Order: sequence, then structure tokens, then C-alpha cells
Amino acid sequence: MLYIFLLHSDPDLAVPVNVMEQHGAVEALARGRDAFIMSEALGGPATARTVRLREGRTLVSDGPFAETKEALGGLYILDCADLDQALEYAAKIPDAQFGSVEVRPLVCDSDWTFDVAPDRERMPVRLVDGRLQPARG
Amino acid sequence: MRYMFLIYTDEAMVGEPDPEAFAAHVRFTRDAIAAGAYVTCDALQPSATATTVRVREGKTVVSDGPFAETREVLGGYYVLECSDLDEAIERAARIPPARHGSIEVRPIAEIAGWDEAIGHPRAGAAAR
Repeated sequence: MLYIFLLHSDPDLAVPVNVMEQHGAVEALARGRDAFIMSEALGGPATARTVRLREGRTLVSDGPFAETKEALGGLYILDCADLDQALEYAAKIPDAQFGSVEVRPLVCDSDWTFDVAPDRERMPVRLVDGRLQPARG
Repeated sequence: MRYMFLIYTDEAMVGEPDPEAFAAHVRFTRDAIAAGAYVTCDALQPSATATTVRVREGKTVVSDGPFAETREVLGGYYVLECSDLDEAIERAARIPPARHGSIEVRPIAEIAGWDEAIGHPRAGAAAR
């Protein structure tokens, strides 16, 4: 089962100096289990725009969808045996110490990705000889 | 520049799409693939399946439900390669749920030293 980990950080809590090493440890643990799918860091909330289409008109507002003190800063997608294993990963993601990590299962049983791009893995990368390779092109 | 498109919709629209929504997403995604812009996308299960984890003073605190209780909930996302924010907004307006929900557009950050720290090219970096 694929789980998404949504990383929210609280600007009032200190970021540990070894935050990169902690992220590296999470990714290494997941890779060791052949469970790492992807991770991304997002630009800050000030870089966000929210777009709606109403009656054919595009409405753009500055800022994220939800104004919250803790801001979405990044995400992981990991292949987990079950929710317990997902929670184990979540507690190791450093943002859990200075914010929160929301864990949600993906709708990965859907055949829709295969239908749209049948020659692709579900994700844009695949492991080849232990190295990530682009799945397209 | 890669952008993330966070899709917020009514809870009723989250999870497995109905046939009409499925077809609309397929059309959008085929267009993005044809334009060389498509990186990845996923749908999330309903927000009732969410669990939020915090570590405080070394203790893991687990609560049921999503990080934020909002009327529209995060239902999925796309990652697309766009030349600039204008193109990203133009694409966002064509994501089917833009008509009834909200699409939050955010640039993806390049973290200096990340690949070296991990020892692997990042997923996004490899996909470019």
C-alpha cells in the first residue's frame, strides 16, 4: 500500500541542526526496504497561488488554500506494509518534531495511471541496479 | 520549473473517481503528457483515512484525521513541468476539479546538497 506523508512545519518550533541527516536516514531506511517512491520539498507558502474555475472564468488568489500556522512544506510517498509501518516512518520524519506529519493512503488500486500511461511505472522514476532512473523517455 | 498542484475538493469527490471525473482526468493527463509536462499524479483516499503524527520531547503522539479540518479536503495532486507561474496557473485552471474545488499551485524547491546527502538523484531531479 502506498502512503503519502504530508509534512507541515510550525514556524515557532526549532528545526534540528541535523534535519538533513534525519531526512537522509528516513530515505535510506525506505530504500533499504525497496519502499522509497518519491519525496519533494515545496516553495514557501508565499509562493503559493490558489486557482478556481467558475463559470468559465479563472480566479487566482495569492497564498495557499488554507491559512494555517503550520504550513505544508513537502511530502514523501513510501510503500508501507500497513498503517503501523507508515506511522513508524512518520515518527522518523524530522518534521514530526517541529510540526506534524499527516499520513494518508493513496488510491493506488486504481487502474487509471496504467490506462493513461501504460508504458510507465506508477511513478516517474524506477530503480535500476539500485539507482533511480527516469521512467519516461 | 516543476510545480505541485494540490487538489482540494468536497469530501464526496475524494477517492475513486466516478466515470465522468475519470475521463476528464484522463483527458487532462494525456494533454500534459503530450506537452511533455507530466511528471506524476496521485489520488488520495478519503480524509477519514488520515492519521497525523507529532513527536514531542521524544514521544510519538498520533491523532486520527487530517492535519487541518477544512470544508474542502486534499484529494490528490499533480506534479507538472511548467515554464513559469503563468503556465502553471493556466494548467491549474484545466484540472477538472478547478470547476468545483480549488487547485493550490506551489513551485517545488530545489534543496542544495540533498542528492549528495541521500546518495541518490532525487525523484524529481531524475524525472527532468
